[in-house]
Amino acid sequence: MIIQIISAFSAVFMFTMLLEIPRKYVVYASASGAIGWWVYLIVQGKEDSSMLAAFLSTLVVAFLSHILARIKKAPVTVFLVSGTLPAVPGAAIYRSVYFLLHDEQVQAIHYLNETILIAGGIAMAISIMDSLFRLIAIYDRRNLKAGS
Amino acid sequence: MEEKLLLESVVLAGEIMLASGAEVFRVEETMQYMLRRSKYETKEAIVLATGIFATLDAAGKKPLTIVKRIHVRSTNVNRICRVNDLSRRFCHGEIDVETVYKELKKVEKEILYSAKMKALGTIGVSASFSFIYGGKPVDLLASGLTGVFLAIANWLVSRVRINDFCSSAFCSFVVAFSAMFIQRWILPTSSADVMIISTIMNLVPGVCFTTAIRDTLNGDYGSGTARITEAIVVALAVAAGVGVGMVCFRAFNGGSL
Repeated sequence: MIIQIISAFSAVFMFTMLLEIPRKYVVYASASGAIGWWVYLIVQGKEDSSMLAAFLSTLVVAFLSHILARIKKAPVTVFLVSGTLPAVPGAAIYRSVYFLLHDEQVQAIHYLNETILIAGGIAMAISIMDSLFRLIAIYDRRNLKAGS
Repeated sequence: MEEKLLLESVVLAGEIMLASGAEVFRVEETMQYMLRRSKYETKEAIVLATGIFATLDAAGKKPLTIVKRIHVRSTNVNRICRVNDLSRRFCHGEIDVETVYKELKKVEKEILYSAKMKALGTIGVSASFSFIYGGKPVDLLASGLTGVFLAIANWLVSRVRINDFCSSAFCSFVVAFSAMFIQRWILPTSSADVMIISTIMNLVPGVCFTTAIRDTLNGDYGSGTARITEAIVVALAVAAGVGVGMVCFRAFNGGSL
């Protein structure tokens, strides 16, 4: 598991080069990716559901991204995009094609379904965290107005 | 204030952000904040997935409008951060329009990591993912090798400008074919599955998808749909490319997969 988390860290670290993420954010972005993958592994070990794992790990990554963005005064995207990378259903896409080519329709449909579920899980997690932080932002603005 | 220059800088800022893959609401917000420094009463900025419109107007003055079409989009977080920073400083009155325009022109050309570094990144991503997908140490090496082929394919694709579908399909074709070739002829103990999965992580549209969701959630349905479509097209292209690559290898290798 430690090796996996280190791999996730280095994968996101390498990926930041492709996204041209400024050097001062690279370590934080990689760390959020590694933490996301750690959560993914824990959830998958307990529940055996990739969809739930992707959902919860993205939830954690999105939360971290919003916090980091506020501390570092950077756009949320910087940490969010790199942090969700390990959870992206690349393996499921590949397996559905693989089984389709091997004439195993049931398995192919199963993995296609999994791809869509994981994508949906990631989407939901990002939506929930975005909405939550939007509420906090509105609340902050009201307090500021009331205070001044 | 020179309204013409202001409007030009605002549109340039929007253009850089949109071309770098920023969410539409962020681009619009930045442009509107910058436009607030104008003395004209009517200030509007509209951003779509493929173009930008901004206009300034005041009683007794000639209205100013700039329309800008965005053709190429990629992800470049550095430029988004830089424009964000510039616009924040501009809105706080720390710098004037001329400086902003000059700086934006610089940002437009700014590249943080060279092409070689990016190729290294591609190889690194492939190699790193091999352990995540249950690879053995030999797969680390093999995935790195597939990554080299992907980097070459990427370079080829960037020289011949073709559309998203074709470029992704070609790259994933190269990935699948080279992975199976490596497993068959070079490193027989490695697993083609692990190699293909970890290398196509470079190609799957995760970034596009994330941005699409955030756009949709913000009510920018136009660009949200555009980006979701882009993500689906790329995902299908990757799937098709891998499939064709495997079939071709089967034919090349005399029937056995």
